Amino acid sequence: MRFLRLTATAMMTCVLATSAFGSGFLIPEQGAKASAMAGAFAATADDPSAIFYNPAGIAQQREIAALAGTTLINFTNEFVGDPNSPVTSGVEAKYNRHTFNIPNMYAIYPIGQNLTVGVGVFAAFGLRTDWADPFPGRYISKDADLKTTSVQPTIAWQTSDGRFAVGGGVEYRRARVILNANQMRLNPFTGRITDVANTRLVSEYGSDIGFNAGILFKTASDRWRFGLAYRSAMDIDLEGDAEITQIPTGNAEFDFAVSRQLPPDQPINTTLPFPEIVSLAAAFSPNENWDFEIDIIRTGWDRFKALDVEFETTPAASFTREQNWEDSSSYRLGVNHNATEHWDVRFGFVYDENPQPVEAVSPLLPDSDRLGGSIGAGFHAGPFIIDGSLLVLHFKDRDTQGRNPEQFDGLYQTDALLWSVNLGYKF
Amino acid sequence: MKRYLHSAAAVLLAAVVAVPVFAARGSADFTRFVALGDSYGAGFESSSLNERHQEWSWPAIIAKQVGLRLCTPSDPATATCWAQPLVSFPGIANELVLQGILTPSPSIGPAPGTGRPLMATFARPYNNLSIPGATVGALLAVTGGEMPRLNEPTVVSFARFILRDQGTAVQQALLQHPTFIAMWIGGNDYLNIIFSGDPSTLTPAATFKAQYEAVLNALVTGAPTAGMVVGNLPSGIPPYLRLIPPFLVDPNTGQPILVGGQRVFFTVKTGIDAQGNDIFEPIAPTTLIPLGTRTKLAQGYGLPPIFRNIPPFNQLQHTGDPLEQSDVITVEEITATVARVAEYNAIIKAAADARDIPIADVAGLFNRVISPTGEHLGPISVTGDPVTGGFFSLDFFHLTDLGYLLMGNEFIKAINNGYGTEIPLMSITELFANNGAFFGDGIPSASAGSMIFSARNGVITDQAVRQITSMWAQPTVRRIRRDLTTN
Repeated sequence: MRFLRLTATAMMTCVLATSAFGSGFLIPEQGAKASAMAGAFAATADDPSAIFYNPAGIAQQREIAALAGTTLINFTNEFVGDPNSPVTSGVEAKYNRHTFNIPNMYAIYPIGQNLTVGVGVFAAFGLRTDWADPFPGRYISKDADLKTTSVQPTIAWQTSDGRFAVGGGVEYRRARVILNANQMRLNPFTGRITDVANTRLVSEYGSDIGFNAGILFKTASDRWRFGLAYRSAMDIDLEGDAEITQIPTGNAEFDFAVSRQLPPDQPINTTLPFPEIVSLAAAFSPNENWDFEIDIIRTGWDRFKALDVEFETTPAASFTREQNWEDSSSYRLGVNHNATEHWDVRFGFVYDENPQPVEAVSPLLPDSDRLGGSIGAGFHAGPFIIDGSLLVLHFKDRDTQGRNPEQFDGLYQTDALLWSVNLGYKF
Repeated sequence: MKRYLHSAAAVLLAAVVAVPVFAARGSADFTRFVALGDSYGAGFESSSLNERHQEWSWPAIIAKQVGLRLCTPSDPATATCWAQPLVSFPGIANELVLQGILTPSPSIGPAPGTGRPLMATFARPYNNLSIPGATVGALLAVTGGEMPRLNEPTVVSFARFILRDQGTAVQQALLQHPTFIAMWIGGNDYLNIIFSGDPSTLTPAATFKAQYEAVLNALVTGAPTAGMVVGNLPSGIPPYLRLIPPFLVDPNTGQPILVGGQRVFFTVKTGIDAQGNDIFEPIAPTTLIPLGTRTKLAQGYGLPPIFRNIPPFNQLQHTGDPLEQSDVITVEEITATVARVAEYNAIIKAAADARDIPIADVAGLFNRVISPTGEHLGPISVTGDPVTGGFFSLDFFHLTDLGYLLMGNEFIKAINNGYGTEIPLMSITELFANNGAFFGDGIPSASAGSMIFSARNGVITDQAVRQITSMWAQPTVRRIRRDLTTN
């Protein structure tokens, strides 16, 4: 018990740096075993990361255990301008190279024969689109950065025969956003389109509380397992500051004219919607050495109608970026094979629909349907568990088809590598 | 197999899609690309022809987008490059520059110095044969070898160093065995009305038709396999006619001067009575005053007689005398011009269609830009506003680099539609200035004070006005002759 308290304290004080994007800005890679099975894990849910994937799954785990790890994400991308666009024809652009680190930690503690409690810390949402200078779309976004951290105390109960389990948790999630863009004007002295100011919108951390719940059902033979998990939607209100820095153009009169038109630094606010997530999962084990699982995950992105940023001192500077996202589904197949006494090998496939209508595809977040394949291995000996995985995600080419409202039209091409590793210990 | 079928279907579909909507004549081969046109084609900007803007002429935009290298003055005639008759800065005439935008400006005046032709001895015809001042008829008539005379037309003066007495523009185009010809001509056939308000200066439609078809026939006959593109003509009102309101304005406040609560409209002569005195009346609120009329307004013309007793107007020599009809442009004259331009455009369309020549929608571009919302282009909106609109240069009539870029793109769109080519448009990012914009933090902002960021109340130097109003007249072109003889 004392250990659990220590672990929980350590987790709570850990500052998580989360930067990447999943379907929309969901990051479903929250455990190396699950990631090795392409995220198809809500029916298996047999390690402490079940706190994320299906809280009912911790009821079947009857040993005190802790699991911690991270997912490292690299993107390679390219934007190629639309040759028929007077704005982007001939433009090529890329992200600055980053390795995003998305850690996760879980601990579970069984009580009696039927009950398990646990806590998880994870970052299931995040985004970073940091375009390398001189990015021609900087009038829309140079750098967008969304970080979240979630803490989720969880409890689950199973029937004594272990065939049915139910679980749930309360999720405290906090988030903050930084948006960075330049303002450009026509300079009448030079006839050139000139950067006149940098606008940096920085929010404080805001938070909301939601919940998740799940059930798990197994057939008597344990050959079939079914899971259903739900994570609630949230709205996080964000307060922050607009920092508007004039960029000198070299012409004092023009700079002066610009300075008269720029809004002052001021408080801003916005509300960031987060989707509900429903996972429906079935797993089948023809024998004790093979496990197959299929998950269908529905994400309620249609809540993301618009990004509204309200400027409090000069409301005229407020802006709305229409998003009008749609609910999206992902389809995940995972396979686990107990190859030897100590080694498991895993692989999986994922098809992840993007929620973004083409009009919302922008440098802020150019999403696309993804196809992915995963491979991984697990080693377990005594109380120790080591899981590792690699998920390769290919984003389908996404062309804005000349429909970007800010005329930043072109083709976005993206690929991602997600490396996950988790270390576990059973007490 | 299924996948193969899928691919085959895709290929078939692509083939169907790639068939041009318009089966244009010749082919889009830009190996020997020539352009015919007027001041817009030459890249004339802010009352000047000079190399800083010639590289942005609409034909140069096309040349760059099809991968041609523009010649520099040091290139020999044997170089593989696309040649224009480059003139050194500040150009012919001296380029007007924006000197200030703070109160009570903006002020606009000519840059100092002397511009000279840089490639007068270039030993082959220029690829860009656009001549400021050229009408349709001039393409088949003017050679630059005309006998010098006083008050010769602008087109002749410019032709002296563009055509160099080696044949007409059309002849020099054909001498190059062109593989592609782009032409935009006709603006000068109705331009004069903007300066004189005299509908009799419009080229008659029948003449325009005969000359336009003669030019096309000469080109089609002389270069039967060449690809071609032409453009239609805009009829929108340029800012040149919008700078001076038709009523008296206090230059200190920019507000109308009110007499008895009413605005004071300028007067214009409508006739002469039996005693030989002028008959005049206030001009209609819809009447436009060309910028060139400013000189007469400054002398008191157009002020009603009552102002002869009101200081400081009583000190002006001509207070109380009316403006002439030719000093103003009435709504009827505008309507007549718009109707004539519509006739020209119908002629252009019929003539081009008959010869399978695609037409660039230049008129559409102008209409979009001068519409109330302007043309939205990524970070900016381009409008017809003077000085700040981004489209019209500081002579309020010719275009900016950005304006010519957009015009060049209209031609590229027409070529792509006509020939099924995929020539990329030129991006406005070519005009992005990267002024240390990426190291943005901690830069102090400008100091405080008052300013008016509007062109309407501005000060345009008299010299600039004289230069603008003489763009199509004698003083400018006498200069050219002098320059050429001293060169």
